[in-house]
Amino acid sequence: MTWKWEPRGEPTAALVWGVSLGAVAFAMILTGILFAFFGVAPIPAFVTIVERTILDARGLSEVVRRSIPLMLAGVGLTLAFRARFWNIGAEGQLLIGAVAAAGVALFSGLPATLLLPTMFIAGFLAGAAWGLGPALLKVRLGVNEIITTLMLNYVAIYIVRWLINGPWKGRSMAGFAYSDMFDPAAFIPTLGATRLHWPTLLLAILAALLVTWLLARTRFGFEVRMMGESPEAARYAGVDFFRTTLILVLVSAGAAGLAGVGEVAGIHRRLVDPGSLSIGYGYTAIIVALLARRNPLAALVTALFLGWVAASGDVMQVALRLPSQITGVTQGLVLLSVIGAEPLLRYKLVRVRKTQPPTAGEVA
Amino acid sequence: MRRILALILAAAALTFAAAQDPLKVAFIYVGPVGDYGFSYAHDLGRQATQEHFGDQIETIFVEDVPEPEVEPFIDQLVADGADVILGTSFGFGDGILAAAQRYPDVIFGWGTGYLRSPNVFTYMADFYQVYYLNGLIAAALSESGSLGYVGAFPIAEVKRHINAFTLGAREINPDAEVNVRWLYNWYDPAGATEATEALLAAGSDVIAFTEDTPTVIQVAAQRESPGFSHYASMVEFAPGYVVSGQLVNWETIYIDFIQGVLDGTYTNSNLEDVDYFWLLEEEAVELGAEPGVPVAEAYIDDLEAVVIDHPEFGEINAYDLVMRRLAQMTESRENFDPFLGPLVDRNGKEVYADGYLPTIGDLVSMEFAVPGVVGPWDNEPQ
Repeated sequence: MTWKWEPRGEPTAALVWGVSLGAVAFAMILTGILFAFFGVAPIPAFVTIVERTILDARGLSEVVRRSIPLMLAGVGLTLAFRARFWNIGAEGQLLIGAVAAAGVALFSGLPATLLLPTMFIAGFLAGAAWGLGPALLKVRLGVNEIITTLMLNYVAIYIVRWLINGPWKGRSMAGFAYSDMFDPAAFIPTLGATRLHWPTLLLAILAALLVTWLLARTRFGFEVRMMGESPEAARYAGVDFFRTTLILVLVSAGAAGLAGVGEVAGIHRRLVDPGSLSIGYGYTAIIVALLARRNPLAALVTALFLGWVAASGDVMQVALRLPSQITGVTQGLVLLSVIGAEPLLRYKLVRVRKTQPPTAGEVA
Repeated sequence: MRRILALILAAAALTFAAAQDPLKVAFIYVGPVGDYGFSYAHDLGRQATQEHFGDQIETIFVEDVPEPEVEPFIDQLVADGADVILGTSFGFGDGILAAAQRYPDVIFGWGTGYLRSPNVFTYMADFYQVYYLNGLIAAALSESGSLGYVGAFPIAEVKRHINAFTLGAREINPDAEVNVRWLYNWYDPAGATEATEALLAAGSDVIAFTEDTPTVIQVAAQRESPGFSHYASMVEFAPGYVVSGQLVNWETIYIDFIQGVLDGTYTNSNLEDVDYFWLLEEEAVELGAEPGVPVAEAYIDDLEAVVIDHPEFGEINAYDLVMRRLAQMTESRENFDPFLGPLVDRNGKEVYADGYLPTIGDLVSMEFAVPGVVGPWDNEPQ
């Protein structure tokens, strides 16, 4: 008698929730042990974290605020990943979107009412343009998009750095590497005294609905799914790979560009160092999309979850007095166990009765 | 009678509780405390402050805080009961000022900042006098008369330091030149290596710098050129080649300010004009690469061998001149200031009239370059 992994069909919603929550619980146990090593009682620590991040209005606003860029970029990635276009470049697309919005805010001289809409459009187009190259290279020359999208992230990082140290360096910033502050008309409004730039949040929810609709109800969505699930069948059915790939990449990368607009005009309100502009949001968005099992609506939930994990890190440092490195370790533990539980959704452990025990010779 | 007794007891209990409740002071650092530079120096200041006040205060710190993420950290610190929150980095300014409006009961400090409000004060421990003394030493040790300076950003603070360094150098050797290379970065070991090698190759033989790592002195030491340590003691990174340097004692400012809070001198409504710009006189800064050692022992003979004819002191050797100037400035800025007028910029234009002692406002907005500074200089007045 022995155990064996067997593939299972599409997992049920209950299974997905069960496994995911189980993984989070497992990570909390590991984190709790880690807390204990640092002399912090685990249960009160978790209570504090929940009190400060979820039960507190301001704490909650910060959780949501952090998840906005993850939502936008993550929703875009679910679309790309559905077609097996492995876009690793959301980070760069986000940064370039921010650059375009900053350019409009600083230099366009547009009237106040047109400024923000133009910034969002510019950010979307710039992000989309950043995804265009890898898309063309993939469909025309078969160049691996993982490499090209990833490499373009570094190009974007250095473009931002060059702009804030060079031509866009602010005159009013005492020599520090920032652009000048935007005109208040270019600030995305926030909810009360929080930093929650709600128009971007609204945009993220709309994007999730739009992508869901595209995937489920349009010919384009059908083609995307077919490309992802059975490229050969798609080819046979006459799917135009070139056109479909271009559109899906434009939407996916454009969404990341919108995330960049939200960060630069909702939070920083000037162009800042790329490491400050995006704390790896574009990379975390990959995890958001994968945890959401490439479902755009689920990406809203996983983005909130990862936003909460990040906010918990602040609490750990401040209220629990844990070193900053430990907060990074706990966040890694959570992600590792959630991602590590993924096979449980696709495979089940079954007991098989061998009719004939293997002989020594067979084993060798 | 019983009620009165109960009231007295209650009042006593309250007073007792108030006396027992320590003032909670939170520090926010931009880097990890182990960075050997800026955040490390602030954390040494925090520890000394905690030790000074003992049970009266409780200090906590958060490290490695990304500049735009300072607000959520402040929220958490306030939720944690912090009474005083000190943000040590220039880039925290936006977050501090926004949070200060939201939490009017909390006292905030913005290190190296320039904007204040009723509950936000600013503070800075400035090195310009120390760089002037480093300049005296550098010129005395230089054989070529060409000194090097690796600067982070061409901002007023760094310009002021390079000018002071150059004025010091020229007091020893009127022909000394200071070649400047800019990194456009606070933390850039690779750029600092390149800049230092370029300066050494161009003939500079003593190097000073503003950057957050010991790279410059390490590279200089490989070419057997003496250097000056910056911010924290960097002797161990280039043993034998660190002549002197700039040290900071942030605790002087922290202790003074917190004493004011404990006394009730400083409150959440009267900080609009509280700006610490502390110097040698307040012992906020110190000459040397190690506390208590202004000039490394091994270099004292070399300095004493350099004798000049000084307009103020007559025949004097370089070491004695350094110590005299140090004593003067430690006593009071009024005694001696490297920027005391008359002063012309390197284009020959008078910037300070004869006898004019520049104000702190003049110092923090200094854009000109003094004669002897060689190299590009952004925003130079024409």
